[in-house]
Amino acid sequence: MNLKSLLLVGGALLSGTAASAGGFQVTLAGQKNNGMGGVGVGLSLDQAAMFYNPGALAMVRERGVQIGGNVTLARQSFRGQFGSDERTLRNSIVTPFNLYAGFGPAEGKWRLGIAVYTPFGSKLQYASGWEGRYSLTDIDLKSVFVQPTVSYAITDQLSIGGGPVILAYGAVNLQKDISIGNYPDGHVELDGKAEHKVGFNAGVFFKPSDKLSLGVSYRSHIDAHVKDGTVTITNTPTALASSFAATKFDVTLPLPATTSIGVGVMPNDKLTLGFDVNFVQWSRYKTLDFTFDQNLGTSNKSTSKRYYQDALTFRLGGQYKLTDGLTVRAGGSYDNSPVKDGYVTPETPDADRVSGTLGATYSFGKFGVDLSAQYVSIKKRTQTQNELLNNGTSLDRVAGTYKTNIVIPGIGFNYNF
Amino acid sequence: MNTSALKKALPALALLALAGCQPELDAPAPATSGSANFSRYIAVGNSLTAGYSDGGLYLEGQLNSYPNLLAQQFKLAGGGDFAQPLFTDAQRNGSGYLRLAGFDASGSPITAPVTTSLAIRGASPTGGPLYTRYDAAVNNLGVPGIRMDNVQTPGYGSVAGNPYFERITPTTNPLETYFQRVKREAATATFFSSWLGNNDVLGYSTSGGASTAATNTITRTDTFTLKATRIINVLTAGGAKGVISTIPDVSGIPFFTTVGPRLRTSLSAAGVPGLVITTGAATGGPTSANRKTIAVSDIRDAGGSGRQLFTLTSSPFVGLIGRPGGRVWRYLYAQSGQPAAGFPLFLTAFGVDTTKALGVTAENPFPSAFVLDDVEQATVATATLGYNTALRNLAATKGLALFDANIFFNQVAASGYGTNGVTNTASYISGNLFSLDGVHPTPRGYAIIANEIIKAINAQYGSTLPYVNPNTYRGVTLP
Repeated sequence: MNLKSLLLVGGALLSGTAASAGGFQVTLAGQKNNGMGGVGVGLSLDQAAMFYNPGALAMVRERGVQIGGNVTLARQSFRGQFGSDERTLRNSIVTPFNLYAGFGPAEGKWRLGIAVYTPFGSKLQYASGWEGRYSLTDIDLKSVFVQPTVSYAITDQLSIGGGPVILAYGAVNLQKDISIGNYPDGHVELDGKAEHKVGFNAGVFFKPSDKLSLGVSYRSHIDAHVKDGTVTITNTPTALASSFAATKFDVTLPLPATTSIGVGVMPNDKLTLGFDVNFVQWSRYKTLDFTFDQNLGTSNKSTSKRYYQDALTFRLGGQYKLTDGLTVRAGGSYDNSPVKDGYVTPETPDADRVSGTLGATYSFGKFGVDLSAQYVSIKKRTQTQNELLNNGTSLDRVAGTYKTNIVIPGIGFNYNF
Repeated sequence: MNTSALKKALPALALLALAGCQPELDAPAPATSGSANFSRYIAVGNSLTAGYSDGGLYLEGQLNSYPNLLAQQFKLAGGGDFAQPLFTDAQRNGSGYLRLAGFDASGSPITAPVTTSLAIRGASPTGGPLYTRYDAAVNNLGVPGIRMDNVQTPGYGSVAGNPYFERITPTTNPLETYFQRVKREAATATFFSSWLGNNDVLGYSTSGGASTAATNTITRTDTFTLKATRIINVLTAGGAKGVISTIPDVSGIPFFTTVGPRLRTSLSAAGVPGLVITTGAATGGPTSANRKTIAVSDIRDAGGSGRQLFTLTSSPFVGLIGRPGGRVWRYLYAQSGQPAAGFPLFLTAFGVDTTKALGVTAENPFPSAFVLDDVEQATVATATLGYNTALRNLAATKGLALFDANIFFNQVAASGYGTNGVTNTASYISGNLFSLDGVHPTPRGYAIIANEIIKAINAQYGSTLPYVNPNTYRGVTLP
C-alpha cells in the first residue's frame, strides 16, 4: 500500500527504505507507533525501536517478539484537464507487516534483535480507460527489508545501536496502455525483481531524566536496482513489431537517506508524548531511467524527470496508560511532499498530507494486543498542461487534479520474556 | 472494553471510515461565454480552417476541423449550430487524399492515393477538378489554398478559380470575392476566427523557392498587411469578437524535417563531402549563379544542426544522388504540364548534362525544387515575421484574442506536446500531430490547435470553455 509507499516509490519502483518512513507519510513499522502519529525516534516503546532508532533498543526494558499487520485502503479521485469525468481507483488493498524479535541479558547493557518490515509496497490500479492510461494503469510494488540490529547502553542514560538494512525482497510490476494511431490500445507490462542491496540504520538515544528522552537516527540510501526484468507487450500491430520489440528492462530507483530527530516527554508514569522530525533527502531522485534490450516505441531508453526536493515530516503523538492492562494512543503528522508542481506522476500522485491516528494496547501478562488506525488525507493537487509543458514533463504524465484518502487499520501481537 | 470487543469493532469501524473516505472532486464549473457571444460563429481561413489533411479535403478531416471542434465547445456556452460544406458520405473521400500503405524494407513509409468515393463533378477550363457543390448556408469559410493576396480577387470563386471556393460561391454571383463573402457572412456573425496567410509563404517554401507560379510567390508584407486589415475590419464592423491566429514557421514542419536528416546520415556514411544544388527559379548553366554548393554537414539533422532543408517530395529522388541520370528532371518537367517534346530544351535552359552524377556535379545538380536552402529560408522568415507583426498588431488594436501559432509550433517542434501521457511530436507519422502530407495536422493536431485557441479565447474574454480531449482524436491512420 500503501500509498505511502507509493509515494515513496517515487515513481515507479520500489521505493524506499524504511527510511521512507520519514518522508513517506504512512509509516507502518510499529503498531504502537502507528497509533501515535508515527513518532518513535525519541522513545523506547518496544522492539520496533529497531526501525525508528536502533540506539533506543538497549533502553527497551522487555525482550520479546512482536508481529504486526496493517490493511491499507486507499481511495482516490481524479479529474483530467482534458475530459471531465471523475475517475476512481479499482479498489485494492495491501497488507504491510512487521516482525521484531529482541534478545539480550535481562540486566545486560546490550541487546540483539532482528527486524523484518515492509515499508514500501504499493499498489494502485487505475480505472479502466482513465485519461492517464498511457502513463500508468497499474503499479504493484513489494519489498521486504531485514535488519539485524545490535544496541549497546554506554551509560544508564546513553545508548547507541545500528545494523545493516538488507533489501531482501523487492518486486515491481508496472503496466500501462500504448496509444497506436487508429488501432485499439496496446499494453505493456514491466515485471521484475530487485537485486539484494544493503544499507544501514543507526541511532543514538539519550535519556537524561525519567521525564525526557532524545534520539537521533539515520537510515542510509539504497539504490534499488532491477536487472533483466521482463517486458510483456500485447495487442500491438505486427506492422510495428520493430517498435515494440523489447523483452528485458533495467532500472534503478534511488531510495533516499532519512535523518530523524525525536524528543520524548514523560510528565508522569502514565503519559508519554513524542515529537519527531524526519528529513528525507529526496533530491537524490532526479530521473527515472529505463533501459530496454530493444526498442519500446522509438527508442530503447526512456527517461522521466522527477527532480524531487528534500522533504520534512513532522510527527506528534502520545499514549496514556488508562489501567494496568489498557493503554490508549493518539497522534498526527504533517508531510511535505517531495514532488514539485508539474512533476506529479500517476505512480506517485503525491501532495502534502495530513494524518490522524488512534491506537490502543491491551496487555495481559506477557501477551499484548496492539490496535491502530490511521487516516491520511493527501491534499487535493492540480497540475495543468501548461505546467507540464513548461517543465518538459508533458510526454509522460497527466494534466488534472488528484485527491486521495487512505485508511489503514492495523493489529499487532506481542510477547515479552 | 476487552480485546475481543475491540477486534469485533475494528472491521465495522474500518467500514465506517471508508464510507466517508472516497474523496469527491467538484465538477468543472459550467461553460460560460464571458464577454463573448458564440451564438453565430463563422470561421475564416484556408486549408487549416477547412480541415484539410493527408494532402486532401475529405469528410473525416472536415468533421475534425478545428472550427468544428471549437463550435462544439461553444455550444456548451450558448453557441449555435455550425454548418460546414461537408462532403456526403457517398463522396466522403472528397478531393482524394494520401493513405499510408505500409513501410518498405528500410522502414520508410509508402503512401498511396485514395481515388474512390470522390466528390469530383467535372473539370475546370484549365483541366483541374471541380467538386460537388454545396449551396446551403455555411459557417466554415475555410478555403484550401487561399492566400491573403487572393481575398479581393474577382473570379476566385468561379469555375476558373479555386475549386474549393467555387463549390460554396453562389452560382448567381460567381465573381463574388472572398472578401465580399466574408462581409456578407460577418453581417450576422457574433464571433469569428481568422487564420489566413499561411499560403502566402507556404507555396514558395514547398516548391523550394523554384517556382514562379502565382500560387508560389511570397506576398509582399505591405499587401498582406493591407488585406489582413480589411478582413479584420469587416469581421469586426458589426461588433463581433473573435480570435486571430498567426503564421507558423514552415521550417519546423515534417515536410522539411523528414528527408534531410536521413540523407545527411547516408551521405556522411558514404564519405560525400558536399552537394551541388540549384537555388531559386532562374535558368542558367553550370557556371551561373543558380548553382549552389552545400556541405553535407550543413544539411539540417534531427537535432537542428545545419541549415539546408530537403522537401518531403524529394524522398523518391535523394537515393539517386551520385549516379548519372535524368529521372528527377523528367519528373519535374512532367509536373509543369508542358509538351513532352520540350524536355531537351528544359535541360538546356538549366545547363543539365544527365550523363554526369546527380547532385555532386555542377552539370547535373540536385534541383532547387527539392531544397529550401538557407537563402530561401531567410526570405520566408522575413515575410513570416512581417505577416505576424501585422496580425499581432491587429489583434492588439482590435482587442481580439490571439492564438500565436508561430510561438506554439516552435515549442512543439522543440519539445513535443504530450497529451495525458501520449507522446506527440513534430515528427513525420510517429509524431501523431502532422498528417501524411507533412504540412497539415491530423485530427489530433487539430484538437490541440482547438485547445490552444480555446485557451486564448478564455484568456481574452473571460469565458470558461472546456478543452477537448486530444487523445480521443487520431494521429496518422496506420495500415
